[in-house]
Amino acid sequence: MQAGWLKQAWWLILAAVVGILAPHIISEFYLMILGEALIMSIFALAFNLLFGYMGQLSFGQAAFYGLGGYTVAMLLTKLQFNFWLSLVAGILVAGIVGLIVGYFCVKLRGIYFAILTLAFGQLLFVIIYKWHDFTGGDDGIQGVFPPEALKAPISYYYFILIVFAASVYLLWKVVNSPFGYVLKAMRENPERTEFLGINIARYQLMAFVMAAALSGLAGALWAPFYRSVAPFHLMWVKSGEPVMATILGGSTTFFGPVVGTFLMTFLHAYVLGFTYFWPVIMGSFILVVIFLLPGGILGFAQEKLRERSFKAMTPEGRDQDAP
Amino acid sequence: MLLETRGLTKDFGRLRAVNSVSLEVSQGDVHAIIGPNGAGKSTYFNLITGYHVPTSGEVIFKGRRITRLPSHKRCKLGITRSFQITSVFPKLTVYEGVLLALLSSKGITLNPLSRAMNYFKDEVWHILEDVGLAEQARVRGDSLSHGDKKRWELAITLGTGPELLLLDEPTCGMSPEETEATMVLIQKLAEERGLTILFTEHDMGVVFGIAKRISVLHQGMLIADGEPQAVRASEEVQKVYLGGVA
Repeated sequence: MQAGWLKQAWWLILAAVVGILAPHIISEFYLMILGEALIMSIFALAFNLLFGYMGQLSFGQAAFYGLGGYTVAMLLTKLQFNFWLSLVAGILVAGIVGLIVGYFCVKLRGIYFAILTLAFGQLLFVIIYKWHDFTGGDDGIQGVFPPEALKAPISYYYFILIVFAASVYLLWKVVNSPFGYVLKAMRENPERTEFLGINIARYQLMAFVMAAALSGLAGALWAPFYRSVAPFHLMWVKSGEPVMATILGGSTTFFGPVVGTFLMTFLHAYVLGFTYFWPVIMGSFILVVIFLLPGGILGFAQEKLRERSFKAMTPEGRDQDAP
Repeated sequence: MLLETRGLTKDFGRLRAVNSVSLEVSQGDVHAIIGPNGAGKSTYFNLITGYHVPTSGEVIFKGRRITRLPSHKRCKLGITRSFQITSVFPKLTVYEGVLLALLSSKGITLNPLSRAMNYFKDEVWHILEDVGLAEQARVRGDSLSHGDKKRWELAITLGTGPELLLLDEPTCGMSPEETEATMVLIQKLAEERGLTILFTEHDMGVVFGIAKRISVLHQGMLIADGEPQAVRASEEVQKVYLGGVA
């Protein structure tokens, strides 16, 4: 049993060790990129709770990410509010707005859901963009500093790493809980799920709020990390990032969005070093994955493994079925 | 009386799919609803499960009027159905599907932090053994054979802890052996679990083999209702439906 557990989780331990040792191995530039990848991974994981697990494509997820960031930035710069409480406020604001937006969105499915989330996202973007007096408009907000203890890149990095690990743990619990199974069932077959006595809209709304709050957390982490926020953090382009990362990594696997985000973030940082045409490279990359690795990188690997174990299992199964 | 419909009517535009059907289903009965294609059987089912809202009439379950109650609430009361077009969960395993139904019926699906797999192990295995799917517990829905999908469907339905089970063409598309096994299973469920079963079926062998009571729909109307022998003997039924079959 003990050994079996180790066999399953060795790569998690490896990842944790790499995460802890990273600041002593890589340059400060790449440490910043790593921090960004971790924050964006939380964002992508939140998105995939809706997309991969519940089967609804949210194309306005950046609105909650941006709201989390703006809440922290405004509380810190305008009110010199407590840093930790600002983070909590960022999560709460995103969650509460998620409750309102979600109330309308969960009544719809498929493309209609996607379009409505996009519309709400753009609406919130425009409000922040145009309301210059309150939000700083297109200037955004600068000078968002973390407390003294977290000012050094390495300490803020460790802070991000801890929050990332906690988010992963929490989401892992959620997707394997009874509630998580309901999400999967709704993705597979909403009509059948309703006949199990499940009120679809209610569960979708709960998941929507969770995803909004977690996206808010990612944004709240980002603002002090980058020392600023800007309206484009709420924009549909930003909403597209977790979508692409998740498709790249594989939406049917838990860690797919993380793999996709890491790939995108590091590729971006690397390619930007010698060309501004990085979208072309990213686009080609996604095309290759979609055609050669259907299901995304992790999704494809998982499916292959499953097929192999299924094939290995079948002979026994056949024997029992044989007359 | 477990279930009663009074003057139940459903119009789709100008088409009257179900026309003033008044019917009683007794506790513990295996009750068949038969009729030619387009007789309104499926629509009648949908009115009982809450998929459609009737144009007029009432649905009464255990003395309570449920005519306008949404499906998920009816399910909680103990009415549940299987689907004619097998409509299950392609990416969930057989075990997970049944577990999900149990989690839902026991009202713990709102729990986001405990481990789903730790619940109801005995109950899930018990149901899987009852329907003969224990061997396939780890198989995913999209890898099951047609007959097994139907059995899984039934297992999921059992997991919701129903009192009234509606089965829409339970043996549709099955081989003779599978059909036989399903008939045995339905009778076993009614006897051992005390379920009331209301089912539609086009295979008259199945209907007369297991039904204790038969109701015949024709063009949306109830034209006969009673013991199998009486229904078989009815001239009207002979004329519109059974033909030479019986």
